[in-house]
Amino acid sequence: MKKIYTIVFLLSFTGLFGQPPRSLNTDLEFVFEHPLLLHRLDSLSLNIGEEASVLIRLVDLKGNQVKTTFMIRGQRKAIVAEPRRSDTTGVAKVTIKALDSGELNLRAMAIGKKGRTVGALKINVPLIPLEKITFVNPIQKVFVGTSVKYSVKIFDKAKRIRKNMNVVFTSSNNNVAEFDNFGNLTINKPGKTTITATVDDIVESLVVSAKKNPARKIKFDISENQVRTGDVIKLNATVLDGRNKVLENIPIVFSFSGKAINQTDNFINNRSTESIGLPASGLITQNGKFVAETAGIYTLTAQSSGFSASKKVKVVPRNVRKRLEVVGHGTISNVNTSDLWVWPGVGKHKGKDFAVTGTHSADGEAYFWDISDPANMAIIDTIKVDARTVNDVKISEDGRVGVISREGASNRKNGLVILDVTDPFNVSIINEYNDDLTGGVHNVFIYEDHIYALSAGRRYDIINISDPANPFRVGSYELNTPGHSIHDVWVENGIAYSSNWSDGVHVVDVGGIKQSEKSRAKNQFNPFLALAGKGSPGNPIKLGSKEDPNGHNHAAFPFQSESTNKFYIITGDEWAKAVPGSPERIFQGGFHFLDFTDIKNPVETAIYQVPEVGSHNHWVKGDTLFAGYYYGGIRVVDISGELMGNLYAQGREIAFFKGVDPDGTTANQTNVWGVIPYKGLIYFADLNNGLWAVRLVDNEPLGTN
Amino acid sequence: MSKNMKRTIQLIFVVTIMINNLFAKDYYIYCTAESEDEVALIRFDGKVAHVEKRIPVGVWPVEIEGPHGISVSPDGDYWYLSMAHGMPYGHLYKYETGTDKMVDRVELGLFPATMGISNATGLLYIVNFNLHGGHSEVSDVSIVDPDEMIEIERVETGIMPHGSRLLNNGLKHYSVAMMSGELYEIDAMTMELKRTLSTSPMKKMNKHSGHNMKGMNHSKMKMNSMSHNMPAEKPTWVYPHPNDNFLYVVNNGTDNVVEIDVNKWEITRTFKTDKGPYNCEVSQDGKYLVVTYKSAAKTGVWDLATGKELAKFKNTRKVTHGVVISPDSRYAFVSVEGIGKEPGAVEIFDLKKLKAVTIAEIGKQAGGIAFWKMDN
Repeated sequence: MKKIYTIVFLLSFTGLFGQPPRSLNTDLEFVFEHPLLLHRLDSLSLNIGEEASVLIRLVDLKGNQVKTTFMIRGQRKAIVAEPRRSDTTGVAKVTIKALDSGELNLRAMAIGKKGRTVGALKINVPLIPLEKITFVNPIQKVFVGTSVKYSVKIFDKAKRIRKNMNVVFTSSNNNVAEFDNFGNLTINKPGKTTITATVDDIVESLVVSAKKNPARKIKFDISENQVRTGDVIKLNATVLDGRNKVLENIPIVFSFSGKAINQTDNFINNRSTESIGLPASGLITQNGKFVAETAGIYTLTAQSSGFSASKKVKVVPRNVRKRLEVVGHGTISNVNTSDLWVWPGVGKHKGKDFAVTGTHSADGEAYFWDISDPANMAIIDTIKVDARTVNDVKISEDGRVGVISREGASNRKNGLVILDVTDPFNVSIINEYNDDLTGGVHNVFIYEDHIYALSAGRRYDIINISDPANPFRVGSYELNTPGHSIHDVWVENGIAYSSNWSDGVHVVDVGGIKQSEKSRAKNQFNPFLALAGKGSPGNPIKLGSKEDPNGHNHAAFPFQSESTNKFYIITGDEWAKAVPGSPERIFQGGFHFLDFTDIKNPVETAIYQVPEVGSHNHWVKGDTLFAGYYYGGIRVVDISGELMGNLYAQGREIAFFKGVDPDGTTANQTNVWGVIPYKGLIYFADLNNGLWAVRLVDNEPLGTN
Repeated sequence: MSKNMKRTIQLIFVVTIMINNLFAKDYYIYCTAESEDEVALIRFDGKVAHVEKRIPVGVWPVEIEGPHGISVSPDGDYWYLSMAHGMPYGHLYKYETGTDKMVDRVELGLFPATMGISNATGLLYIVNFNLHGGHSEVSDVSIVDPDEMIEIERVETGIMPHGSRLLNNGLKHYSVAMMSGELYEIDAMTMELKRTLSTSPMKKMNKHSGHNMKGMNHSKMKMNSMSHNMPAEKPTWVYPHPNDNFLYVVNNGTDNVVEIDVNKWEITRTFKTDKGPYNCEVSQDGKYLVVTYKSAAKTGVWDLATGKELAKFKNTRKVTHGVVISPDSRYAFVSVEGIGKEPGAVEIFDLKKLKAVTIAEIGKQAGGIAFWKMDN
C-alpha cells in the first residue's frame, strides 16, 4: 500500500506532455575548410567588402562524410553567405562577403532524425581602415610660455568620421615644445618643431613655429563684483606687450577657486566668518565666462605667458525660492489623465475659462472642465471616442475648434477627432480624420486653421481645417535620415519646432511672417523669423536643426529671453533607465538650453536636470520655465539672464510641487504629464489624479536659498 | 468494516486519484494585452481559467509599446514577443518561460507582428506588418536566430504582411499580405520567396501568380511605387494543416477561409464564414478548423472533413482576435480584444463537447496567443 501511495505522490508531480525535446545531434559535426588547401579553418579574417570561399562539410565523429543537405547562413547587413543550402552531398562551397565589422559567424545547420547539428566559423571583420587625420583649425605660430590645445578629425576610407580613437601627439623637438597626454602643446623656447598626430599607422604632421613671447603683463577685469548664483560673469582679459599694446594671438587660460558660504554668513574683508564646509562650485569657460553654483567668495584668474591676474567676486544666493499653494484640484480617480489645454471661453461663454484633459490607456475619453472658478473646477462635458488613449488635446486660438488624438482604436484606424468646443458644456464631434494616420497619432497642434498631427511617429502631417467638417491634408514634413522618428511638434509664429529623438529639434517655416532685422528688439527677436517667409503649410521649409546625441529629444519650446538678447530652443528629454537587478525602469533626463542666436551654429549652453526623476512636457512664459516632471511633480525654474551650466545646481529652481491625492488611480503619488501657466495660475495634469491649479506665493520665501 | 473491504476502498481511492491525475490536465497559455503592455500567463485546469501572472513588458514606463505577436519555442524554454511600436522600429523580445524574465531583444522593422519558429531550421520568421501610413509600402518578413537574437535576413513580400506560420516539417514558411491580397511561400532554408498566390477564390487565373519567384530581381520591380487597388480579400492569416498538404487562409475582407493545396498551389475549397474572419488554427488531429470572427465577435468551429461549420460561439465582448488549440485537440483558446477600457479576455471552448467552458479576463486588447504546455 505504501508503494501505491508513493506512486500516486510521484504522479502528482508535474510532467510535461506534447513538447519536442531539445534535440541536438552531437554525433555529427560541421567542418569548415579552405576550399583549395582543404585544411581546417578555426576562424577567418575579412575586410569589409572582401569575399572569400569556405568549404563546409558535414561529417560524423570519425570524419566520414555524411551525405545530406544542410543550411548555411550569415547575418543581415553583416555577412552574406551564398548558397544558403548545400546539395545532398553534404558538402558546400560557400562564398561569403563581409558587409560590416565585428566578430561575426558563418553558421551551418543540418536537421536529422537524431536532431539538429549546428556549426559555426568565426569571421573576424575589422573596422574600415583609417584613411587620414586632419588637424582642426591648427595654430602654427605659437609663443613661448603658452600652451596650445590641438585636436584632429579622423576619417576612415568610407569618408566617415571616427570617434573615440586614441590619438598620440608628438613633437619632433621637445626642447622647443612638448605635448602632454591630452593634446596640449607647451612652448618652451623659440624655434621650430614638427608636431605629429598618430592613430594606428596613419599620421599627419604640421610645422609649428615658436616665437619669443612679447607679453609683459596681463590685464584682467570682470563684469561684476557681486552676483547671484547662476549669473554669468564676463571675464575680460588681455595680454599686453612692453608698450601696453594688446597682443591678440596669445592664449589665455581662465581658472577659479573659491570658498563657499551660506546665507547667514557675514562678509568681513571678503572673508566669510562662518563656513558650512560646502565646496565652492561653478563653471568657467575658456572663452571667458564664469557662473557659480554655490554662494561664496571666488577668485577668478587669467593666466598667460607666465603672467597672471586675479579678481575676487562675491556670489550670493539667488534667492528665487517661492511657495506653490493649491488653488483647486479636480480628482480623476478611475482613469489615468494625459495632456491638458486651457483656454478662455468665447461667445456666450466669454469671460469664463475652460480646460480639457485627455485620458491614457483607458476608454478613449476627453474631459472638459469649467475652471472659471479654479477653486471649484468641475467636469462639464465628456467626449468619448473609439480609442484607449487620448494622448493629446489642443484647442484653436479662437477657442472654437478642438482636436484630440486617438490611439488604440478597436478597428486599428486611429487618427484624430475634430471637435466643436464653442460651447464647452456641449462639445460635439465635427469629424474624424484618419487618412494616412492609422498607425496612431501621438501628438497634435493647432495653428491658424491647420492641425499638425504626428503620423505613426514618422512625420507630421499638416491638415487644413478652415472648414472643420471637411479636413484635408495640405502638406507633411518628414526627415530623410535612416530610422528617423518623431515625437512632438509645436508651432509658434508660423515656425514649427519638431522633436525627433536622436535627430533632435527641427525648425521649419510653415508660414512664418518674415521679421525685419531692423525691428530687432531685445526681447522680440526670433532669428528664424528673419529667414521665414518662403514656407507655408503646404510647403514646409526647414530653417535649422540640431541633433540630440543622446537620442532623447521628446519636446521642444522656443524661448525668446526677455532679459537677454538671446534666442533659445529648450528641448526636453524623455527616457527611462533600467534599475540594476530589477525589471523596473525609472525616468531620467531634463531640459537642454540650445542657444540658437546664431542659427547656423547652435550651442547647448545649459541644462536643467533633477537628479532622481525625469522630465516630460514643458512650457515657457516670460523668463520662467514650467516643467512636468513625472514623479518629481511640477518644477518652476528661473531662466532669466544668460544661461550657462547646470541650472538646477545654481539654485534657479523657484518651486516644486507634488500633487498627491489619496483617491487617485495611484494613491498619494504624483505623476505630472503637462503644465500650462494661465492667468496667473499654473495648471497641470497629473496622470495619477487629474487636474490641478496652483499659484506661486511671492511673499513667503522659504529657508536659506 | 472488514480488513479486505477497507483495503478495497483504499485501493479505489488511490486509483481514483491516479486516474484524476493522469487525465486532469493543466493547460498553460500566454496571451498579450496590446493596450496594457502586459502578457498574461493563464492556467486552465479543465474547468476554470486562472490568470497566474500579468507580466509587464516593454521598456517605457508610461508609453504604450504594443505587445502584439507571441510564440513559444518548440522546446518550451522561451517565449518570444513582438513589440509593435518603437522609435520608429519595433522589436522582438525573448523571455524565459517560468521565470518570465527578459533575456534579450533585437530591433526589426515597422510594427513587427506575427511570428513562427521552424521545426527544421530553428529560426524565427516574423512579419513586419507596417500598419502605419498610407498602406502602400511593400514590407517584409524578418528571419531571426532566436538563440543569438540577431536578424539574419529580410524577405520582401507584400503590403501589410500578416500571419506567419510554417509547415510542421519546418521547410516552408507562409504569410499573407492584407493590402496585396496574396499568399507568400518562403523556403525556410534558402530564405527565398518561392511562390505567391492570390487568395481570392473568385479569380480564374488563380494559378497565374503561382510562378516560381527564384531568379526574379525584385529590386527592379519598383514595388514601393506601385499603385494598387486594395484587394477585397484583405487576407490576415494562414495556417497549415498538420499533414502539411493544405493551408487555410483567412480572407478578412470577403468573409471566407480558403483551403489551398500546397502541392497543386491552388485553392481547393472555400468556407463562407461570419463577418470579419481574422485568425484560424487547425487542431493537431486535423479534424477541426477554428476561426475567429473579428467583426461578428464570434468563434466558429469547422469540420474539415465535411466542410461544415459545427458550432459558432458568441464571444463575450467585441473584436475577437486570435486562437490557439491545445496539442490534444481538446480545447480552443480564443483571445478577444474588447473595446476601450474593457478588459481583454481569453475564452475557452471545448472542441469535443462543442461548448464554451470558461473565460479569463486579462489586460486591454487581448491579442497574440500562444500555447506553452500541458501539465498533469
